[in-house]
Amino acid sequence: MQQLAYIGRRLIQLIPVLIGISIISFLLVKLSPGDPIRLLLGPRATDDAVAAVRITYGLDEPLLKQYFIYLGNLLAGDLGRSLRYRIPVSDLIVQFLPRTLFLIAYVMSLTLPLTIGLAIVAARHQGRWLDQVIRIFSILGMTIPVFWLAVLMARYFGAELGWFPVSGWGSGFMSHLHHLFLPALSTSLWLIPLLVRNLRGALIEQMESDYVVASRAKGLPESYIFRRHILRNSLLPTLHLLGVMIAFLVGGSVIVEIVYAVPGLGALMVGSVIGRDFYVVQGLTLVYAIGTVLVTLTVDMLTAVIDPRTSA
Amino acid sequence: MNDLLTVENLNVDFLSGLMRVEAVRNVSFTVAPSEILGIVGESGSGKSVSCRAVLGLLPGHARVNGRIIYDGKDLGAMSANELSLTRGRDISMIFQNPSSHLDPLMTIGDHVAEPLHYHFGLDKKNARIKALELLDVVKIQNPEQRYTAYPHELSGGMKQRVLIASALACQPRMLLADEPTTALDVTVQASILELLKSLNRDHGLSMIFVSHDLGVIAEICDRVVVMRGGEIVEQGSVNQVVGNPQHEYTRLLIGSQPGRLDSYNQPSHEGHALLEIEQLSVRFNDKGGLGTLLGGRSRAVNALDNININIRSGETFGIVGESGSGKSTIARAVVRLIEATSGAIVFQGKLVGDLKGLDLVEYRRQVQMIFQNPYDSLNPRASVRQTIAEPIWRHGLATQQDANERAIELMAMVELSENLANRRPRQLSGGQCQRVAIARALALSPRLLIADEVTSALDVTIQAQVLKLLARLKDSQDLTIIYISHDLAVVRKFCDRVAVLRHGKLIETGLTDKVFDQPANDYTRTLIDAAPELDSALLNAAAL
Amino acid sequence: MTDVATFTPQRSTVPSAGKLEIIIGSAIIVTWLAMALGAQWIAPYDPNTISLMDILKGPSLAHPFGTDHLGRDVLSRVIFGARIDIWMGFIGVLAPLVIGVTIGLVSGYFGGFIDTFMMRLVDVTVAFPFFILVIAIVGVLGPGLSNYFIALALVAWVAYARLIRAEVLVLKRAEFIDAARALGYSHRAILLRHILPNSLGPIVIYAWTDAVLVILAGASLGFLGLGAQPPTAEWGVMISDGQPYVIQAWWICFFPGLAAVTLGLGLILVSDGMSRRMRIVQ
Repeated sequence: MQQLAYIGRRLIQLIPVLIGISIISFLLVKLSPGDPIRLLLGPRATDDAVAAVRITYGLDEPLLKQYFIYLGNLLAGDLGRSLRYRIPVSDLIVQFLPRTLFLIAYVMSLTLPLTIGLAIVAARHQGRWLDQVIRIFSILGMTIPVFWLAVLMARYFGAELGWFPVSGWGSGFMSHLHHLFLPALSTSLWLIPLLVRNLRGALIEQMESDYVVASRAKGLPESYIFRRHILRNSLLPTLHLLGVMIAFLVGGSVIVEIVYAVPGLGALMVGSVIGRDFYVVQGLTLVYAIGTVLVTLTVDMLTAVIDPRTSA
Repeated sequence: MNDLLTVENLNVDFLSGLMRVEAVRNVSFTVAPSEILGIVGESGSGKSVSCRAVLGLLPGHARVNGRIIYDGKDLGAMSANELSLTRGRDISMIFQNPSSHLDPLMTIGDHVAEPLHYHFGLDKKNARIKALELLDVVKIQNPEQRYTAYPHELSGGMKQRVLIASALACQPRMLLADEPTTALDVTVQASILELLKSLNRDHGLSMIFVSHDLGVIAEICDRVVVMRGGEIVEQGSVNQVVGNPQHEYTRLLIGSQPGRLDSYNQPSHEGHALLEIEQLSVRFNDKGGLGTLLGGRSRAVNALDNININIRSGETFGIVGESGSGKSTIARAVVRLIEATSGAIVFQGKLVGDLKGLDLVEYRRQVQMIFQNPYDSLNPRASVRQTIAEPIWRHGLATQQDANERAIELMAMVELSENLANRRPRQLSGGQCQRVAIARALALSPRLLIADEVTSALDVTIQAQVLKLLARLKDSQDLTIIYISHDLAVVRKFCDRVAVLRHGKLIETGLTDKVFDQPANDYTRTLIDAAPELDSALLNAAAL
Repeated sequence: MTDVATFTPQRSTVPSAGKLEIIIGSAIIVTWLAMALGAQWIAPYDPNTISLMDILKGPSLAHPFGTDHLGRDVLSRVIFGARIDIWMGFIGVLAPLVIGVTIGLVSGYFGGFIDTFMMRLVDVTVAFPFFILVIAIVGVLGPGLSNYFIALALVAWVAYARLIRAEVLVLKRAEFIDAARALGYSHRAILLRHILPNSLGPIVIYAWTDAVLVILAGASLGFLGLGAQPPTAEWGVMISDGQPYVIQAWWICFFPGLAAVTLGLGLILVSDGMSRRMRIVQ
């Protein structure tokens, strides 16, 4: 009951955030110095034609009214039309989305086991050489430009050794796995250090906490204390971080999609920015934000399930 | 050789960089079956470290030397595995802060059941049955219902009971209790002590009871070890040590017990009213925001409910109560750190709630406050001199340079050596910090000084010094003092009049001696009876 | 009152903890700063001189880092690139820091409506993935470094605002702040003299790490063609330029990336060292 109430409260808190998101994505296009209608109609359009379209799009209305028109369209699932592809933005996104989702899931399945393993090893060997090695690795990882790593890996593992394809995403599940291995690995190599640092810190903090001493005083074996008490308590902060990281990962995926020519949302985003296809940029930004909000929401709900204090 | 536990020549040091810092030197003591041994000492005395060393619970950078023999077995020579079989089964331990010693993600039932599972191999069902019995033994009501509760849903006293149940699950013959009641209110403390005594009486449980409070030790222990600076100063039966202390430090410790202090209370004092608190109420609203619409509870807490107190010029007025009684809220309302919900605070005929701008600044010059936590109440980045001088120049009473000179005079007044002037709080002891806070409060020459639990974080010998200082300053600076404390023994010695608070309500008020000798209210009586006090504890022990 | 913690010395367990990191880190940063400032004297060639005779030459004595597809000296371009990338890190951290600290300080201290509004704004901003929002803003305003700085100022302040607000909320409950209020100090004095100096620690530590993030994101934008524009010698732009030739001329991509890694290493080491020292003091 308490948890239901918490989830309810959490959902209500979403409303202002979603409104805010829609305002920002609406303003995004308004910020642009150029005139989107001229872009839409091309350079040879007459002033009259521009004015006519302007009226059909409601662009001569006051800003506030335009926003409500935009919001109404959003609620009806209409994100506008792409200037380049000449199809609805929503169709475009639905077409590109699965590839990015696949990539993200791939990255997570490479990242999580390694992160947890390395963090546990580092924490249990705190201060000793194994921990130092992992620490140096994690510092290095934070400083490496993902796109640089991606370019070099594409050259070595792709072109030179010929182990992996360096562009596209193939067809069929196994082919996807093969095509996306390098993109996923280069993103993971950048993500793992960040997560290891945090999980290691959380583990060490928990290992030094009072309830661990109390458990020892009861004669519980170390391995049991680690599994039952320390690990569970450290997962909470890491779960939260993971939510934040997924948002980060979405940003990171943009750049590997470009390097490896994966036709996903990131490639679409950059292509639309460069092609000044503003409605696509606007729609994508909105979709990304909603995706992040959903991830955060999921993390919060999982936390509420694990941690009885959250919903109190 | 019929002692249950023998500790011989225990030495503990901690690795600090390349240096080793000695924490315990040459400590030897024994505990007989069914005996309760007290270890008393101030902070840094090594009492907790000695106690933890017995079970091998010190952090990794500690080095332990010496023989620890339990029932013929040498614990010091045991491997980690053998030791963990001894822990919980032969010797168990409870701790000062019950909240942090329970896993927040585990139900209290599981806390009690898990050692049963591990030491006795009980399955879930049988462990549960046994755990329920244990919860009943430690007097947790409705154990069935509480079984699935999480630690955060329980009060501090309850959590300590769970910790005790979980420590005693495998029927150890000895319990190490490290300041188990220090974080608790006096009435809760009394009930936990009663529980521990009954476990000793009914089950023959031996105990080492570590405490800074000689009164508590006298109440529960048969014998006592007095420690200072990592060494044992003296040991013997409680009566013998307290009645005929051999060591100078033991005498100092006993003489610093609040009950043995000189009395500063001057009940005949009659001044005009300086501060009148009339029908003061403070409510805290827990803002629920939008969330409250959907099942979120909006809690309004009555921190203070219709309080009437008059404080006369020149007196020392005590306010006592347990946690949550609202005693600090009064102080904070008087200095306007929080606003009253209703009622009035009148200072020298002026309504404090209406003061604004310069009037408020002037009021703040006349009413000053000192706080509980000596380190937390000073800006960690400011030197002693800067801290004391700041109010003087900020109020435009002197230039920064003159204020700095005045700060040195104020340091002398609170008996701080001048060469501490450039130190930061971190480089000072707790007692020194508290003196700085007093000097800062007196820098503006206030009429009224509010002291909120100012000695409760200090060692008892330091407390005695600070009280003495406050009493001297009160006379020399012509101060009126509101002294807020949970410690009834201190209030009795220090205050002329006293008010007793509970749950935000004024229980009774009157001349200190009268309230203590003939309490009009049952709660006041309970409070006075629960407060551990050296001499009454000795009397009780003698009567048994 | 008596915890084991009391016995472990308060000041430090290892007096030099973090010191080594800070020394090495600062040395790296100072070296890069010197190269950036003295680029015209240190770099062996002009970074933008095209030499069709020297196209795609591998590392040699004359060109230690080789040459690119236009025959430009990669080493000289890396050295001049430090100017752009360090500048990016400096402005890209400073602007959000100042904005974020001001907002976080005021909203945490005063609370109420300003606080609610600001925190809603923060919630909304963090809902957008950082890099996506930066790309979108830069994309709409047009590519270029100054638009990157605008995007950062709009987006990156939230991290600082959150950090400092959390610190302020803790400090507000500290007794020395109560004492300052009871002593009648003005809000200004309390904020600037008592709260700000005590809340800057984590901000400073974060800022060094953030500089790495800002430089890497800026280089990424350069790589995507949305940041610094060619022919500017900027590390991300250089990697992008070299990508088509990476199979026959790996050095064009390799060295600018290495430069970014070393500079980042210096920054992270300083951040790490400082956080270790701070943990010890606490």
